[in-house]
Amino acid sequence: MEKIVLFCIFSIGVFADFNQLERHCLSCHKAQQIPSNLIYRRYLMKYSTTKQIEDAMFNYLKNPKKERSILPAQFFLKFPMKKALQLNDVELQQSIKAYVEQFDVKKKLILENSSH
Amino acid sequence: MVIYLLSTLVLFSLASWIFYTSSKHHLLDKQNEVLKYEAESLKSKFRALHQSTDDKLYYPNHKEIKSAIYNRDKKYIFGTIKSTQRFEERKENSLYYITKIEPYYLGAAYLLVATDINYIPIKNLQKNILIFMLAAGIFFTILGYYLGRLFVSPMRESLEKMNHFIQDTTHELNTPISTILTNVEMIEALDKHKENRDEFKRIEIASKTLSRIYDDLTYLNLNHQYHRQIVTVNMSNLVEERMAYFTSMAEGKKLKIVLNVLPNITLQIDKNDALRLVDNLISNAIKYNKHEGTLKIILTKEHLVVLDTGIGIALNDLQYIMQRFERINKSEGGFGIGLHIVNQVCENYRFDFEIKSIIDEGTEVYIVWKK
Repeated sequence: MEKIVLFCIFSIGVFADFNQLERHCLSCHKAQQIPSNLIYRRYLMKYSTTKQIEDAMFNYLKNPKKERSILPAQFFLKFPMKKALQLNDVELQQSIKAYVEQFDVKKKLILENSSH
Repeated sequence: MVIYLLSTLVLFSLASWIFYTSSKHHLLDKQNEVLKYEAESLKSKFRALHQSTDDKLYYPNHKEIKSAIYNRDKKYIFGTIKSTQRFEERKENSLYYITKIEPYYLGAAYLLVATDINYIPIKNLQKNILIFMLAAGIFFTILGYYLGRLFVSPMRESLEKMNHFIQDTTHELNTPISTILTNVEMIEALDKHKENRDEFKRIEIASKTLSRIYDDLTYLNLNHQYHRQIVTVNMSNLVEERMAYFTSMAEGKKLKIVLNVLPNITLQIDKNDALRLVDNLISNAIKYNKHEGTLKIILTKEHLVVLDTGIGIALNDLQYIMQRFERINKSEGGFGIGLHIVNQVCENYRFDFEIKSIIDEGTEVYIVWKK
């Protein structure tokens, strides 16, 4: 019974995080056709560990600058620098976690049929 | 021959071991190369996967080569190696290869590839080396045998010549020695030698020496064909009889004879073997004794001891003294077969045979009967 209660609380928490992510981040990304998936892959390719990705995203979103961005410098010749998110640290960290969770490649990886 | 074969075996074993070790490393290196090649191939596949926007990313699955990717903190991401296996963990009988991935496609900083060692070529190598060693062993044994025969043939020929000579000589000596002895004994019995007593004594000693040498040589030559009759021999009587026989020789050297023989000591032995044993020990003790020395014979239920106060035998020479035709002191006559015969008799009846000797002090010979 306790497990079920804990699972429900956890699920509600996760759902709340995703809801927050959708509201504060992805809604704009979708509207502006920003490929969130590919941006996550860029972070992944540069930082490797979840902790470092989250830290890098946090630093950028708190104080967006060209040198903190994962996108190449040329990108900002065409597009303006985004404004800092008006979220408190806890909300921002929860949203980043939800973002990383949503686009995590580990979930997509499956073994192909064996060869040779 | 044994030294030659052993040294060849050691040399070949060493060479084979070096060859085996180097070939085994070479075979394992080849398997490592396959791993490296597979790792590079995987890396390019990870790049393609990283760029894929598909919902499912198919991780390459090789039947024989396992792999896994780890992040910068060396935490497991995905792979065909089990997630329970730690990054540093290595299993026996497996080959591992780690390579860095840069940039971190799929978040992977390290790629670990592993495969089971293929022991078939190594076992084939072992088999080939074994066959080679066996063939080389047979070849060098045959070669060694042939060369050995070639090298020792002059020695063997001379030994054979010596044996033939002794055989012929002994055959020819029998009759004249017997004639001399019989006649000397007859003259003594008839008491006809008063005027030339000393000369007759010398003739008697010389003929008895010749007779004993003849007996020894015959014994050696017929040793293998001779059919032994094991009977109860009264050793006490035999020792006393033989001592009496050699009295003339002992008197010639003015030896002091001490006989400490317990009565009725018997042995289950062939009479001729017992005779040769006692004769050789007594005659040696007389022959190599000093002038006016002492000869002591002790016979008990346990042993026969013959002690002399003669020239002695050096410690280094004791190991050779029992060999056939080996004479340490060349100043006395003889063929050097006396102790060889004693040793043979002792071996046949499992008696313990021991010689203790001090140069210029004397020799003690111990024959301990088997219990």
